[in-house]
Amino acid sequence: MPSSSPTSSVIQVGPPSPVPRERRHRGVPSWSLKTAMAITGAIWAAFVAIHLFGNLKVFQGPDAFNGYAAWLRAVFYPFFPKEMVLWGLRVVLVIALGVHVGAAAIVWARGRRARGGHRVTLRGMRSWGAWLMPVTGVVLLAFVTVHVLDLTLGLAPVAPEGFAHPEAGVAHAYGNLIASFQRPWSAWFYVAAMVLLSVHIAKGFANLAADLGAMGRRWRATLSAVGGLLAVAVLLGNAAIPIAVQMGWIA
Amino acid sequence: MKLTVQVWRQAGPGAPGRFERHVVDGIEPHLSVLELLDALNEQLIDSGAEPVAFESDCREGICGACGVTVDGEAHGREDNVPSCHQRLSGYADGSILRIEPLRAGAFPVVRDLIVDRGALDDLIRAGGHVAVDAGTAPDADALPVGEERAELALDFAACIGCGACVAACPNGAAHLFAGSKLMHLSLLPLPSLERQRRVVAVVDELEELFGPCSNYGECARACPAGIPLTAIAAVNHERLLAGLQRRL
Ligand code: HEM
Ligand code: SF4
Ligand code: FES
Repeated sequence: MPSSSPTSSVIQVGPPSPVPRERRHRGVPSWSLKTAMAITGAIWAAFVAIHLFGNLKVFQGPDAFNGYAAWLRAVFYPFFPKEMVLWGLRVVLVIALGVHVGAAAIVWARGRRARGGHRVTLRGMRSWGAWLMPVTGVVLLAFVTVHVLDLTLGLAPVAPEGFAHPEAGVAHAYGNLIASFQRPWSAWFYVAAMVLLSVHIAKGFANLAADLGAMGRRWRATLSAVGGLLAVAVLLGNAAIPIAVQMGWIA
Repeated sequence: MKLTVQVWRQAGPGAPGRFERHVVDGIEPHLSVLELLDALNEQLIDSGAEPVAFESDCREGICGACGVTVDGEAHGREDNVPSCHQRLSGYADGSILRIEPLRAGAFPVVRDLIVDRGALDDLIRAGGHVAVDAGTAPDADALPVGEERAELALDFAACIGCGACVAACPNGAAHLFAGSKLMHLSLLPLPSLERQRRVVAVVDELEELFGPCSNYGECARACPAGIPLTAIAAVNHERLLAGLQRRL
């Protein structure tokens, strides 16, 4: 809504600006949206790191992997009822993803508007990385959906035939995973998603440093390094699993 | 050397604009992009046509008046150099240069290559100044400022207010400009007294007039004053701190 009235918190010096300008008076401020994205992004990054650790148990064989899946369902039992921690985690992750994606959409739209429809020239890695954030983000959203349908809910047509649901504390996660990755389209989709995820995480941590106001050289370097390491670990560790199944190294 | 210039012509605010093509012959490579426009204008005046309107003042990189977009890059192809210092020597004889105004939603075109950068003045009006009543001038060393701190404040104070950071940004954000003002002032003893009030006011204006920051980093590449990217982190740094502290 165009209007020339300045914000109330302005410490006025000199006469008010005589020029009417396009002003955006409404909505959650972008700096809060970016802070929320940094926090929710970090929550997901922490989850991705823990999830990676669990995934790698696949290389130790079915018992280790199924044991991990069963353990997830019974963390802190008997202090908490079975699956309570798991459900708590799921709720936090879903809310965090909703906030993250919602904020990303608003920030993106505001950026397009403030640019005023003019073309831009992108120069350098940093710039292309920022450009890739919404691109990789949208694919990641699709990936998260497919992944849940495939290996958590076991819903056709995404899940492999013969998907076995966990029953009475016994998980069939290993069998389901192998069955899913024996389908080439599924395996290569997971590998591609991991490439995009690692790009998103690497650039995401650099963004996080700026959005949380890290100005010191050491803080910024440390956060970038953590992001880079996690990105490489996610790429090598997670993508190795579908590749290993396709190559027939694990079955 | 002989250069072809595709220059943006626009009669006034809101009028339709278009590129006009001219050939400028016999121009020296050590001259600047603005001097290329000078040469073009002489040609235009000689032929009875309207010269191209553009802004400049010091022509030595200190005033911030100049600023055009050359081939899509704010100020020109060389990083951290203002338009008045962008030399033609990097262009091969016979090159085509597409020269248009600094582009951003917050910078409406006034005429040809001149844009209204007054939205930056609105940020300064909101808090890019010192409003505390400091009384008469104190003794020179009554309020000691460490050398490192003074140097850092001066580094952030180097911003010449050209607006290239906004024009280079795919989001039309002014975080580099705003962050440099915030840091410059909050590092010094008197201005730091109104640190919280200042950042709230400046960020409110920033939100209303400019885009959000997505960390493209184009601003720091374009900035002729070499303001570092830490200035964009300063915006959230100062704003988050102000939100955490007790308001007086
Ligand atoms: C596995 C899930 C994800 C992780 C670990 C993750 C992580 C992150 C992190 C740490 C950031 C930096 C936050 C900041 O800007 O300060 C970020 C930014 C971003 N994320 Fe995600 N993200 C995930 C999923 C998504 C999804 C599904 C989208 C969908 C659209 C998305 C879109 C974005 C965008 C656009 C940015 C850049 C925001 C900006 O600076 O303008 N992310 N992400
Ligand atoms: S921060 Fe740099 S690019 Fe932005 S207005 Fe100041 S001098 Fe110009
Ligand atoms: S004319 Fe003064 S900075 Fe270019």
